[in-house]
This record gives sequence, C-alpha cells and structure tokens, in this order.
Amino acid sequence: MSSYGGWLRGKTVKKGAASSSSVNTRSSTPHVQSTSTTIYGGGIKDPSGRVTEYFSMEDQCPVCKSDRYLNPKLRLLVSTCYHKMHVLSILLILMRVLTGVFRCESCIDRLFTLGPAPCPICSKVLRKLAFSPQTFEDLEVEKEVAIRRRLAKEFNKRLEDFDDLRDYNDYLQEVEDIAFNLINNIDVPQTEAKIQAYKAANAALTAANIQREEAYALALKEQEDFDRREREARAAQLVQEQEQERLEREREQNELISKLETSGKDAKKLVAKARLSQQKRQSARASEKSVLSGGMGFGADYAKLLKARTNKAKTSVPDEPHVPLQDDWYGYEDLYVLRPSYDDIFSEAVRKDREGIMRAGGYMVEEAWNRALRSAMAGLELEPLVGLQTEEPPLSAVDAGGDVIMA
Amino acid sequence: MDAVERENADRQKRWAKEQKVGEGTYAVVYRGREVATNRKIAIKKIKVGQFKDGLDMSAIREVKYLRELKHQNVIELLDVFSSKTNLNLVLEFLDSDLEMIIKDRSLVFLPADIKSWMAMTFRGLEFCHRNHILHRDLKPNNLLTAADGQLKLADFGLARDFADPGHKMTCQVITRWYRPPELLLNARYYGSAVDIWSVGCIFAELMLRIPYLAGDSDINQLDTIFRALGTPTEQEWPGHTKLPNWHQPSTTYPKTPLRDLFTAASADALNLLGKCLVYEPRKRISALEALKHPYFFAIPFPSHPSKLPKCAAQVAVRAAEDAEQANIDQNSTGPGVRAAEPGSRKRKLNSPEEFRARSIARRLDFAKQANSP
Repeated sequence: MSSYGGWLRGKTVKKGAASSSSVNTRSSTPHVQSTSTTIYGGGIKDPSGRVTEYFSMEDQCPVCKSDRYLNPKLRLLVSTCYHKMHVLSILLILMRVLTGVFRCESCIDRLFTLGPAPCPICSKVLRKLAFSPQTFEDLEVEKEVAIRRRLAKEFNKRLEDFDDLRDYNDYLQEVEDIAFNLINNIDVPQTEAKIQAYKAANAALTAANIQREEAYALALKEQEDFDRREREARAAQLVQEQEQERLEREREQNELISKLETSGKDAKKLVAKARLSQQKRQSARASEKSVLSGGMGFGADYAKLLKARTNKAKTSVPDEPHVPLQDDWYGYEDLYVLRPSYDDIFSEAVRKDREGIMRAGGYMVEEAWNRALRSAMAGLELEPLVGLQTEEPPLSAVDAGGDVIMA
Repeated sequence: MDAVERENADRQKRWAKEQKVGEGTYAVVYRGREVATNRKIAIKKIKVGQFKDGLDMSAIREVKYLRELKHQNVIELLDVFSSKTNLNLVLEFLDSDLEMIIKDRSLVFLPADIKSWMAMTFRGLEFCHRNHILHRDLKPNNLLTAADGQLKLADFGLARDFADPGHKMTCQVITRWYRPPELLLNARYYGSAVDIWSVGCIFAELMLRIPYLAGDSDINQLDTIFRALGTPTEQEWPGHTKLPNWHQPSTTYPKTPLRDLFTAASADALNLLGKCLVYEPRKRISALEALKHPYFFAIPFPSHPSKLPKCAAQVAVRAAEDAEQANIDQNSTGPGVRAAEPGSRKRKLNSPEEFRARSIARRLDFAKQANSP
C-alpha cells in the first residue's frame, strides 16, 4: 500500500483497504473514507465520505493566538469539548522532518503528545485523538450535528414499530429531549444512562432496523444502476439507429444519382419513386419504435416482459397438474412396514443419546432401519451364488439392479 | 491387448470428443457426440496424474453414485472409460444452470415456473434420498437444465450414502449460503434434512432473484440465518446449544414473518418455504412430504418444462450452432463454456477460509487452488 504517496499528495486514503482482498461483494457495510488527515478522524462527512473543513481568514488559535495572517497553513481542529486548537499541516510536518528543525508550533502536539492532558480552556481531560476537523462555522452547530448523528444511530425506530401514532410521537419527543439535554449539557450523566438503558432494551430492534435501512439503500442503488444501464443502452441504440438512417439515406441518394446518370428513364419518375420508398421506410421505423421503446421505465418494461411471457404461456403446451412422483422406481415399499422402534444393538447408544447431540444434528435412526429393511427386501430377489443347480442365466430382475452384483 | 483393454477401447470409440468447454478444479469438460446417434454429450476428463494418492475423492464419489442413479431429474452418467492415465466420465449434455437463469435479468419468472423448478428439484432429491444418498452440495449452480427444460441434479462430488448409526460424517459440506445451521454448528451426525435446507434456500432465491442467506464468512453465515429467521429457542430446536460449535450469540433476533420479505409469494409457497427452513432438522419437511404439499397442487399448475425461461444468450448460441454445425468457434466464451461443466467450482472456493474448510472434504484439491478463479 502506498500510504506515503497518498499522504504527500493529499489523496484520500481508504480505511481498511488492506483487507479488501477478502471483501465479499455482498458486504453491506460501506467503506469509511476519510481525508489524508486520517490521524484526526471524525468530522462531518458528506455523502462521498470526504470531510469538508471550515476555513476563514479570521481563524485564530485560541491557545497560542497564532492566526491565519501570520501562518497561512494554520489548521484548526475541534476537541470533544468543542474548543479549537491548531495543528501542524502535513506540509509543515514534512518540512520539519526533512529539515530537522523542531519548533513548538502546534498547540495540539505540544499539549497532548505525552498522553491525555486537560484542555487549556475548560480543563476537561482530552486526548490527541479526540480532535476532529471543523465543518461548520458555528461550533454549536458542529456539536449538535455530531450529537444528532450519534443518536440517530441508536434511536432508529420507525412508525411501524409502534402500536399507534401517539406512542411514536412520544418516542420522538423523548429523543428530542435527550438531544436537547446533550447539546445544552443538562443532566448529562442521567441522559447518558437513559441512552444506555434504551440501547440495552432495544438492541435487536435497532440491529434489525439498521439491516432494513441497509437493504433499502442497497435496493435503491441496484435500481439506480439498472436505470442507468438501461438509459445508456437506449442512448446507444438511438445513436446506432440514427447512424443507420444516415447511411441508408446516403446510399439511396447515391443510387438515385447513379440511376439518373445511367438509365434513360424519366428523371421526375425516378425521383418520385425514391421519395416514396423513403417515406415507407420512415413510417415503418416509427411504428417499430413505438412498439419497442416509447420511453418506458423499468416498471413498464418489466410489465411488458411479464405480459409477453404470460401470453406465451397461454398459447403453447398446456400445464399439467402436479404429480408428486413421476418415476416407476420400485422401492419394495409394499413388502415391509417400518415399525416405530426395533430391538437393535447397533443403534442402542444412538437412541439413548443422553446429550441430545444426535437429535439436534438431525440424524434419524429410522432412516438407517428403513435402508436395512429395503436392502433386505431387494436381496430376496438375488439368486444365491453357490448351491443352485439350475443352468439358467440370472433373472431379469437382477439385471435391472445389475449394479448390485458389481458393487 | 487383454480383454479389459479391448473392452475399454470399444467404449472409447463410442464417444467423440469435440471441443473443450470448461475446466473445473479436478476435471476438464469437453463437449462431444455419441458416434452412433450423433447425440450431444459432455465428457468430463478427470485429471489423475497430479494426485499422488490416485483419484480425487469427488471423482470417486461422482462415479459411485451416478452409476446407481437413473432418473429424469438427475444427470445421467452414460459411460466411463479410461484414456492413457485419465478417467473419462461421459455425461448427458446440459447447457445451462439455474444460477445463470436466476442472474439473467431479462427473464421473467412466473410463479408457475418457480413451482415447476421446485417440483423437479424435489423429485430429483427425493429419488436420491429414496436411494439413501445425500447430495450435500445443492445450489442453483448445480441444478442444470436440459434443452427440453427438465431440471437435473448434478455434481455428486460431495455425495455420500446415509451413515450407519453412530458413524461420524464430515460437517464441511454444502456451499456456505446453502449450508444448514446444524452443519454450521459442526454436527457430525445428520441426515437427509441438510439437503432440504439447501432446497429451501434455492426456493427463496428463485423468488428473490438474489441469494437469500448470503453470509460472508462461516461465522457470519449463522448470524445471517438468525437475523433472517430469528434466533432459535430451545423449544424450536432442542439440543442445539449442545452442538460442538455453539456459542451464545450476543444479540437475539426476533422472529420476523417471511411475508415481510416475500411480499408477492402465495401463502402455500411461504408455508412450504417455512417448512424447509425449520431449525430442528428432524421437523424439517422431507422431500416426499414436500412433493405432496398443497403448494404444488394449487393453481397455477407448474409450468410445462418446455415453457420454462431459458437464458437468451443460451438460446442464441444454440441457434447459431445449429445453423452452422460444422463450423465451431474455438474462441467462444459464451455461456456455453460455463454451461456444460457439471464439475465447475464457481461458488465453492472463493475465500481462503472456505478453502480451508472444504479441504477436508476435498483433500486433494490443493494443486489447482492457485489457478482457480
């Protein structure tokens, strides 16, 4: 993996790309993509997985007061207590490594390299990894988005999960209350406890809902892909048709000219004839087109296919009612009756099966008894190998099961 | 030349090899013709040379069971002969499999079509079970369809006969997505119910047009099953917690009705599907009972085999072939290559874990593993 190259060029690095070899195509979890600043993860990602960072000329590190005017490469990150601090940009880190100059330029590096330390502003204990890029100008918004994002993951019940609208609204109200408390730092420990309790109580439902959403997203994507492919195919077809049309017209033009040159017929008649054939062709194409496509979407197309199929099904060979077995393989069923149990020393341990392992696995001793009985019945038809005086060849019944002898 | 060699040479002369159509892990498949009748056949040449210990296990299994089974819904083994050091199986020629048909989006399945395929699958399976043989590798890819639409069970490379009481069987059989929970829990004593689960998965796949229980690893497979069908309770499946590989799952999934996913299926169809996917193997429906299930007798009647959907590409290839019999395109990479390949391992060895798991059943497969796609 060329993570270095990615770093230098500021390209996106796929997390978990190393394990992509074993990724199944059906794997439903999307890859987490982040910018080159993977060391500081988090931040609010847009649909393409990139983090857009907030950036303004008035940026200033609240800790050391260095600002963008003096340090254009200033990069501010936000801590979990929503206080900003500045970090060295990748370029500066690289310069520092290359030149061997170590200056204390980054507040985050300076304060948190040696492990967790209190925030210089609010003195909450922080770690270096707890910093994430800023997306919104207003840090309150940043916080609210992060909290709502977190809550949405746990509180994903739908209207279908409730008995009536009233319950659902109560639930939504409660979620709002929790969000409000967290955003405004009211009763945080109690609220967290509430979330934990909810999480424990609804784990299965939450998982099921996540599953459902993923399935829906997948279906949507497939549908989109299908639509896109169809559109492309239709466009390609259209281009092809136009091309064909052009070629044909050219050909006819040439034909007409050569005819006018060579044959001694009336020029007017020839031109009229050519025009007529052209018109005929065009109308034929138009009707063909209206049958074939006519701007149908997936649903209409499918319905059409279905209709065609149903019609075909009606016209050709009639369907016959179901007959469970259609072969005449004789299984000697009429010669024996399987009893519920046998005095069988070979299966005694199996039948006792104190641990119940045999039962859970689905082994059925009846199948073995059935087989033994059937084999015995089949054996009745075999002639003994010795002790029989007749000169006749073996009976035809033996021939049908000739493999018995060979085995 | 002794009598055996003469006999072998005679046999060999009856079949003409024409064109290579595919290569499996342990066999090369050729298309050919019966010299006397000009009937199309497939010749599966087992590579003997590379296995020190002799023949590949699956080849032995295949010959052993196919020689015994003659049924309209089981692939027919027409002949076996040897050439130089190779063993050749002559099989009937079948040009497409159910996986291709399911994946072909231009095909529309009527409920009657699904019913017809299911009936044929159950009929083939019932015949195997009636003859005390477990197939142990049922999946759409191994259900081949003949030109007349008949569906046939193929690839008996993992088949075995019912075990005697107290004899262990390997649990590393059946392709993952179609493997029943008792095998995922490493049960060593099991019965015909394992095949029924696979058929249930195929039934669901026919309705959904996408694999139903697609886990991405052996561990994840069990989780996928539980998520779809609910975590089993002791009442639903007595004794399952005693099976060797059982671990108490961290989350218990609720039971969701099948109706939620299979919105368009008839009540009978869902009833049969539910009975195929019962956790307790002994309670799972048997092939014979399934064939007598009301689903098959209800309207619509199962489609006549000749009317079942076929792959468009397949039809085109066949038409072109019939048009110019003599001129066979050597570079053709159409579905024909995939088709007449009863021994192909398409969904089998696609991950390292799976290979490790399977290597028990297919001990001699190492040689080709690196090359297999």
